[in-house]
Amino acid sequence: MSAMNTLRNDNAQGSGTQPKILLVDDRWENLLATEALLKPLGASIITADSGEKALNLVLENDFAIVLLDVQMPIMDGFETARLMKTRPNMRNVPIIFITAISKEDHFATEAAEIGAVDYIFKPINSDILKSKVKVYLDLYTQREQILQLNATLRQSNEELERFAYVCSHDMQEPVRMMNIYAGFLAEDALSQLDEDSQRHIGYIRENAVRMQKMIRDILSFSRIGREAIVLETIDSQQVFSEVMQGFEDIVAQKQAVVTAEGLPVVRTSPTLLRVLLQNLLCNAMKFQDGSRTPVITVSASREGSGRNAMWRFDVSDNGIGIDPVFYERIFQIFQRLHSFDDYTGTGIGLSTCRKFVRLCGGDITVRSTPGVGSVFSFTLPDKA
Amino acid sequence: MGEALEILLVEDNLGDVEMTKRALRTASTPCRVEVASNGRQALDCLHKAGRYEGAVTPQLILLDINMPLMDGKAFLDHVKVSNDFKAIPVVMFTSSESARDVRDCYERHANGYVVKPFDGQAYAAAVRGVIDFWGSLSTLPQ
Repeated sequence: MSAMNTLRNDNAQGSGTQPKILLVDDRWENLLATEALLKPLGASIITADSGEKALNLVLENDFAIVLLDVQMPIMDGFETARLMKTRPNMRNVPIIFITAISKEDHFATEAAEIGAVDYIFKPINSDILKSKVKVYLDLYTQREQILQLNATLRQSNEELERFAYVCSHDMQEPVRMMNIYAGFLAEDALSQLDEDSQRHIGYIRENAVRMQKMIRDILSFSRIGREAIVLETIDSQQVFSEVMQGFEDIVAQKQAVVTAEGLPVVRTSPTLLRVLLQNLLCNAMKFQDGSRTPVITVSASREGSGRNAMWRFDVSDNGIGIDPVFYERIFQIFQRLHSFDDYTGTGIGLSTCRKFVRLCGGDITVRSTPGVGSVFSFTLPDKA
Repeated sequence: MGEALEILLVEDNLGDVEMTKRALRTASTPCRVEVASNGRQALDCLHKAGRYEGAVTPQLILLDINMPLMDGKAFLDHVKVSNDFKAIPVVMFTSSESARDVRDCYERHANGYVVKPFDGQAYAAAVRGVIDFWGSLSTLPQ
């Protein structure tokens, strides 16, 4: 048996993607036997003959599993495990105790308190040990894969958002120039221009303004998640009133009746609530066909209990409504259901709402009857 | 022209330079403008070096943030640690609305932060407002 060669298999080898198992036992013959038993599993096996050596190895390695003998001189298995668990890289690593002690309550309790996931009694049944270790190895591999995938996703997400942010930020300047100089042209030279040219200058300005709106919306979309979310205890009825003050002109122009009653005090991000109410109320007034007075109501109710308790807000309108096949699409960025001439907009508002509210632990959905009206509902975790 | 307010405009966008100059002509205080298109040139101007030989030390600096070679924040750092120049009011004039930029500039002791308005008339009004405040309402260091 070539086990002697690999007995002191330290961290220089077996690196890379191969998961590492740490065997700790004060008897070398036990180490040898267990190593031989686990070798076919394909993991890199590292051994230590004392708790102290095991702790040193934990400092330098990330392990998938630790197999720990309980009865050892100087530092026993429990003590070793307790110290191991103080290391951040060991927090999620399963520790399997190997012990000759018969099943006693105090042992199980002590092992559980330390965070050991399992124990095996001597004499070791090699099939049981092998299959247990295999299960934990598989779990480890899957977890590593998920972590790696998450990291890749997070990175590409971050890059995309940085890109959106920089783009929008730098695009604002040229658009502002176009708007202002088209404005100068209109002011200074209008009398020298024929009707067509005057209209063309109008197009330039209108489109510069529209592009400016898009850029600002992309900016606020990409800001979500980049900036820390600050929670405050706020009166949502008060937020509603503030948002409505900004809509005074549109309300007057559309003769809209917008009401909200008994909105709760919630602990949430004030920015989130403002973004949600602004977008939903603006949409509710915008998507009207003009045949009737826009009537919009905001109400709230509490759902669930305990830690799962949520506040659910409903914004209902009597507007043109949305075909159910578009329920999902309207929450995707840049998706619009109407031509710009019919209903203005950038197709970013609802996606901003969804991104933001989901980041805060809630969600947003819609129910609608075309020609009758829509109800947009969003939920906020009740953290009061 | 001893009464004219000496202004250093640090701005790389020619369109903005022209608009700012145009707005300055309608300000309540007569102004004289020197233009630098980045932080390096602006430093040359303060030190009356190179093509700025014979330039007058400005009484007010209008400063853009995003510029090549040396951006507004870096230039601000130079100005506000210099015993010769730190008393000159520096007003940021930029298209950035980012809270981060605003904070960065005030922490570097900018004396004001104005976001360039999107509309031409509002832009001119903003420039005039800055000049009214610094040029006539405020008392500037000698």
